[in-house]
Amino acid sequence: MKKMKLFLGPQHPGMHGNASVHLYVDGDIIKKSYLLPGMLHRGFEKQMERKLWVNNIALIPRVCVPEPDINEMSFAMAAEKLLELKVPERAHWIRMIMLEFARISAHLMAYGGLGGPTGVYTLMYHAQADRNRILEIFEKISGARVYHQYIVIGGVRKNLPKGIEEDITTLIDDLESRLDEYRDLGIDNASIVKRIKDTIMLPEEVVWDLGVTGIGMRSATNKPYDVRKVTPYARYDQVEFEVPVSDYSDARARLDIKLKEVQQSINIIRQSLKKMPEGPVRVKPGRGQSMRWTVPKGYVYAPVESSRGEFGYYMVSNGGTTPWRVGVRGASYPQGLLGIEKYLPGTRIDDAALWVDTMGVCSPEMDR
Amino acid sequence: MLSTKYTKKDVVKTKTDRKWWEIGDYFRRNSLWMLMYCTGCCAIELPPAMTAAYDMERLGMGPMATPRQADILLVSGYLSPKTLRRLVYTYEQMSEPRYVVALGSCPINGGIYHDSHVVINQLDQYVPVDVYVGGCMPNPESLLNGFVDLMEGIKNKTADGWKRYHEHYEWYKENQKHSLGELIIHDEFHE
Amino acid sequence: MTNSTNNIEAVDTIIENSQVTPLLRDEIDQYQVAYEIQKGDIHTTLSLLKNAGWIQLSYLSAIDWPEENKMELIYILFNWEQPVYVQIRSKIDRRKPEVPSIIQIFPGAKYYEREAHEFFGIDFPGNPDFDKQLILENWDDIPPLRKDFDPSSYSKKKFPSRTYPDQFSKKDPDNKTREKQTEREKRANKLRTGGGKR
Repeated sequence: MKKMKLFLGPQHPGMHGNASVHLYVDGDIIKKSYLLPGMLHRGFEKQMERKLWVNNIALIPRVCVPEPDINEMSFAMAAEKLLELKVPERAHWIRMIMLEFARISAHLMAYGGLGGPTGVYTLMYHAQADRNRILEIFEKISGARVYHQYIVIGGVRKNLPKGIEEDITTLIDDLESRLDEYRDLGIDNASIVKRIKDTIMLPEEVVWDLGVTGIGMRSATNKPYDVRKVTPYARYDQVEFEVPVSDYSDARARLDIKLKEVQQSINIIRQSLKKMPEGPVRVKPGRGQSMRWTVPKGYVYAPVESSRGEFGYYMVSNGGTTPWRVGVRGASYPQGLLGIEKYLPGTRIDDAALWVDTMGVCSPEMDR
Repeated sequence: MLSTKYTKKDVVKTKTDRKWWEIGDYFRRNSLWMLMYCTGCCAIELPPAMTAAYDMERLGMGPMATPRQADILLVSGYLSPKTLRRLVYTYEQMSEPRYVVALGSCPINGGIYHDSHVVINQLDQYVPVDVYVGGCMPNPESLLNGFVDLMEGIKNKTADGWKRYHEHYEWYKENQKHSLGELIIHDEFHE
Repeated sequence: MTNSTNNIEAVDTIIENSQVTPLLRDEIDQYQVAYEIQKGDIHTTLSLLKNAGWIQLSYLSAIDWPEENKMELIYILFNWEQPVYVQIRSKIDRRKPEVPSIIQIFPGAKYYEREAHEFFGIDFPGNPDFDKQLILENWDDIPPLRKDFDPSSYSKKKFPSRTYPDQFSKKDPDNKTREKQTEREKRANKLRTGGGKR
C-alpha cells in the first residue's frame, strides 16, 4: 500500500475560498485528510476591541463575504440586548427583507458553485446572473453592492426609496418561475447524477459529535431545527413559512433543500411587503454625545440563522466606549475543520471539493 | 518544499528580437489569460465580471487553471503573510512576460486593516505591480477599466514589472525576508 | 415547543439538584441564562447538562481580565427540544492558565481549544495536539489576543507602510488645515473616556 501526499491547494479552479486541504491518497481513495485554515486571517477580534461602537459597523460586514448582512444583524442584536433598546416596528420588517435577500443570494452562489467541481458551467452562469440582479437591488436600497452597512444599532440607516416595491416584486416573480429550470440543470441533470446521488452521506450520530448545524443537520436528523422557529427574532413569528427537511442525507437531498428554502424566502418577502407599517426607522442609542455612547456591563450571545447554520456573536462589555471582547461563532467552523478530518477518509478525491460546496464551508468566516 | 531555483538573466537587447517582441505584444494584449486565485474579499466581484453580467470575454480574456500558462496574476484584496508566501511561490512559477493587477485599496496602503498585526501594508515592496484598481469593493466596471489600462500599458511598453523583478531582485528578496521571516513553506503542520 | 420560562426553570432545577453551587446567576432574556462556577466544577456541570439534553456545544472561548489577574473561560450549550442557551463561565489564574480538556464530553471542542491556546496561551492537558499552530504561521510574539499586545506597533515594525509627501495639497500650501485638524483631535481625545454613565 503506497501513500501519496496531495494538496487541494489554495489555488484551485474547483474550490471555493482560500483554504487548502491536505490529502493522503492511495490510488483514488483518501486515507487521511486535514484542512489548513488561516490564509484569510485578519485579526478581527483584536481590531474590534480598539474601535468605538459606531466605527465597528464599518468593519464587521467583512467577516463573512458572500452574505454580509448576518454580521450586522448579530452585532446590532447583541448591543441592543445590553442597552435594552426598543427598535421601531418598521425597522424589524426591513431587516427581515434584507436578511432573506442575503439568504437567497448565498444559496444561489452555493448552488451555482456545483458547476466548478462537476463541469456544468451553464448552471454557474445562470446563478451568477441572477445573483447580480439581487446585488443591483441592494445598491438601490443601501448604496453599495456588497458591503451594505445598513443595519445599525437602533434600527436601519435610512428608509426604503420610492418605487422599490415594484422592482422587488418583478424580481421575485421572475425567480420563482425559473426554479424548475434550475432543478433541471442541476440536480436532475442526467450527466452528473452519479456524482451527487448516494455520495457524501452524513449519518445522525456524527451530527451531534461534530456540532454541525443548518442544512446538514436538517437532512440527517429529519427535524425542523431552525433558529428562526425555535428562538425567533425580528418578527419571524408573525410570518408563515415552513422549514424543509429530508430523511435521506446525501448530496442531492441537501441541494434539493436549498432550492426549497429559496422558495420559502420568496414567500417571506412577499408577506413582509404587505404587512409592513409606516413610521420611523431609527432610534438614537445614547444621550449626549452622538457618536461616543457607552454600553452597560454584560455578557450576551446573539445567534442568527445564516444559510450555512447557526451564526452568532458573543459580546462582552465593560461599560466603556469600545467593546471589551467580541467572539465570532462561525457557522462553518465545525463542518470545515472537524468534518474534513473525521468524515472524508474512505471517499474519493473528487468528493472533497463537493463536500466543501454542499455542506457550506465558507473560509472567511472560519478564519476571521 | 523549496521555492523554485531562480537564475537571474539579462533582458534581450538585439534588433531583430525587438521586432518579434512587437508582434508578440500585439497578440498578447488581445488575448490575456488570468490565473484563478481568489486571495481576499474583492474576489466576490470576480464571478459577475467573468460571466454573463459584465462579460470579460469580449476583451479576449479568459480563466486559466495553472500558473505555468497564465499571463495575469490578479491579487484581489488584502494579503496575510501566510498567503504572501504562497503567492510569491506562484509568481515565480509563471512564465514571462507576466503582469500583476492589484484590486482594492488594501494592496495600496493597507486599507481598512492598516494597523492589523497579520495584514501587509504595501504590496509593491514584495512583488512588482503594474495596475492598481482602487475602491473598497470596486465595481466590475472599474475592474474592466483596469484591464483596458493594462492593455494600453502593454502597447506603450510601460507595463514592465517583470523586468523590474529581474533588475532589483535582491531588494525584493530582502523585503520579503524582513516581513515574512522565511520563505520556505512547512507543510508538516498537522503531523 | 414548550414555554420558555419552564425551560429556564428546568435548567435551574438541574443545577440545584447537583452538588455544584454557582457563584452567580444571570437571566439575560427569555432564551438565555448564564452561570458562573468554580474551575473544579466544570466537568460535572457539563456532563450533567449533556445527559439532560443539552447536546450541542455552540462556542468555547476565553476573555482576558488583566486588572484582576484572571482569565475567564466560557462555554455555550444549546438544546433544540427545550430551547435555552446556557452560558457557563469560570475564572482561572492568568499567570499559569491550565484547564483540563473536555474532549471526552464534547468531541467537537478539539479545534476550539487549539485556537484558545494559540490566541491566549491557555493549556489544555488531555487534548492530544493543542499546541500546534492552526491559524497563525511562524508567530514569534506573545499570544495576540491578550491585552498587553499592541498590534499597531507590531505592524509598523514588520510591515512598513507607504510614505506620502508632506506637501500633499495644492490648495493649501501652508498646511493651515493640519493645525485645525490637530486641535480637533486633541479635543476629541479628552472626551475619549466616555460620555458618562447611563
